[in-house]
Amino acid sequence: MDALAAEWHKLRSVKSTAWTLAALAGSVLLCFLWSWFVARHWDGRPPGERASMRAAPAEQPLVLALPVCAAVLGALAITSEYATGMIRTSMATVPARPRLFAAKAVVVAGVVLPAGLASVTAAVTVGRAIVGGRAVPSFAEPVTGQVPHLLGLAVWAAVIALVGYGAGAVLRSTAGAITAVVVLLMVLPPLADLLPGPWDARAGSVLLTRLPDQIAAAPAAPGGAELLSPTGAVAVLLLYAAVALAAGAFSFVRRDS
Amino acid sequence: MIEVRELTKRYGGSPAVDGLSFQVRPGTVTGFLGPNGAGKSTTMRVLLGLAAPTSGEALVNGRRYQEIRRPMHEVGALLDAGAAHGGRSAFDHLRWMARSNRIPVSRVTAVLEQVGLAGVARKRVGGFSLGMRQRLGIAAALLGDPGVLMFDEPVNGLDPDGVRWIRELMRALAGEGRTVLVSSHLMSEMALTADRLVVIGRGRLIADTSVQELSDRFRRGVLVRSPRAPELSAALAAAGAAVEREGAGDLSVRGLDPAGIGELAAANGIPLYEVTPRSASLEEAYMELTAGSAQYQAEPGLAGRGRAEGAGS
Repeated sequence: MDALAAEWHKLRSVKSTAWTLAALAGSVLLCFLWSWFVARHWDGRPPGERASMRAAPAEQPLVLALPVCAAVLGALAITSEYATGMIRTSMATVPARPRLFAAKAVVVAGVVLPAGLASVTAAVTVGRAIVGGRAVPSFAEPVTGQVPHLLGLAVWAAVIALVGYGAGAVLRSTAGAITAVVVLLMVLPPLADLLPGPWDARAGSVLLTRLPDQIAAAPAAPGGAELLSPTGAVAVLLLYAAVALAAGAFSFVRRDS
Repeated sequence: MIEVRELTKRYGGSPAVDGLSFQVRPGTVTGFLGPNGAGKSTTMRVLLGLAAPTSGEALVNGRRYQEIRRPMHEVGALLDAGAAHGGRSAFDHLRWMARSNRIPVSRVTAVLEQVGLAGVARKRVGGFSLGMRQRLGIAAALLGDPGVLMFDEPVNGLDPDGVRWIRELMRALAGEGRTVLVSSHLMSEMALTADRLVVIGRGRLIADTSVQELSDRFRRGVLVRSPRAPELSAALAAAGAAVEREGAGDLSVRGLDPAGIGELAAANGIPLYEVTPRSASLEEAYMELTAGSAQYQAEPGLAGRGRAEGAGS
C-alpha cells in the first residue's frame, strides 16, 4: 500500500500526466464537435436522402486519441524514471522490485481505466443528446445498450497503457516504448491486411485495434468465421496485457539498474 | 554498520569490483577513495541492491538491502544528483519517498529546512543548479533519519560554502553515532572529513586504514639544516638516527624527533638553522598508493606538450 501511495503521488505530481489527460479531454470536445457536425449535416439534407446517411459514431475521435494517450501515460510512468536516473531512487526506497513494478502497473491501469470510461461515456452521452431525435444509424442505439461497448473501450485503453508500460520496462526508453506501441496500433493493421485471405482476416482479428469492435459485437452481428467471439476477444485483449507485464516484470526484476 | 565481503561484480568479462572486502563502523566518517573507474559507485550500487553481485555479498546492518522492508529508516543514500524527475517540485520528490516508507510529512519539511532548500520547496527540480540537486539528494538521504548513510561524491558541484557545509554535516552525523560512508576521488577533501579511509583501485582493496596511520606511513623523516652539518651528522648517527645528506648543509634524519635532534645539537653546541618534520601530504600518499591502478590516465608527455603549445599561443 505504501508503494501504491508513493506511485500515485509520483504520477499526479508531474505535468505530463495532466497534459495527457488534457489531451483526452480535448478529444472528448472533438467528439462533441463531430456530433454537432453530424446533426447539422442531417438537417441540411433533403428528407429523402436522410435514411441513407452514414456517419462515424460520436466517440470516433476519442477511439483514435485514447490509445495514444494511454500508451504515452503508461510508457512515461517508467521510462521517465530511467531517463532521469530516478529509477535508482525508486528502487532504493522500495527495494522489493516485484512490489514496485506491480504498484506502478496498478496506478497506471487505475488512472487510465476510469479516465477512459469517463471520456467515452461523456462523448457518447453528449453526442446522443446533440444529435437528438435525428435517425442517424450510428447514433440511434440508446446509451444503455452501449454499456458493454463503453466498458470494452475503457478496458482496451487500460490494456494499451499496460502494453506501453511493459514495453517501457523492457526498452527503458520513452521513444522506444512509444514506437513499439505505435507499431502495434498503426503499422501492424495495414500489414495484416496485405496477407492473402483468409489470413488477412484471421491475423486482423487478434490485432489490438480490432478488438473493441469484436468485444461489443452483437451476437448476431454480420461478421465472418474468422472473427473472434466477444469472450475470445476479451481473452486476447487480456493476453496482450499479460504478455507485456510479464516481459516488463522479468526485465525490471532481473536486470541491474 | 556496512560489511562488504569478497564482493565481485563483473560487467561483461571485465570485473568492476574484484574480491573486495571491508567494513564501515558506526561513529566514524569513512572515506571511500579511488581513481575514476575504481569501482566505488559499483560497490555502492550493489550495497543498495541496484546491481546484483556476481559473487560475494554486501550487507547493511547484517542484511542484504533488498530484505529491508522500509529501508529509508535504516539507510540513506545520495546517488548521482540527477536521480530526481525535473518536472516534480522538491517537496513532491521528497513527499513520494516519504509515502513509500511511511515517513511523516513533517520530516519532509524538516529535511528541506536542514539542507537549506525550504525556500524553493515548491520549485521544479529541473530548474535547480547542480549544488541544489546535491542538497536535495542529501535531504532525501536524511529523510528517514537513518543510522547508515552513503554519499556518492557529495561535494560535486558545490560551492566552497556548500563543501564546508557537507563536511560539517558528515562530521555531525558520525558524531551522533551513525555510520557514514563517503566516496570521493579527491584525497584532499577526505583528509579534512574522514577518520578512516578505504582506498580501492581497479576494483581491489589497496588500503583500509585511518587517516593518521596513512600519514604516519608516509612520514619522510625530519629535515635539519645546520652550518656544521658533518659534525651534527656524526652526533646524530652516534645517537642511533639514520642520517642522509641532502646537498650542502641539509640532512634528512629518521629515528629521532625534532625535540631529540634539538637537544642533541644543543648538547654539542651545534647551531641549527632549521628543523622541519616532513611527511608526504595525504595527496602524495594517495597518489603513491593508487599509482598504476588509475584506469584513465593521461600520457604525461602529451599533457606536457599540450601545455607547451598553450604557452606558445
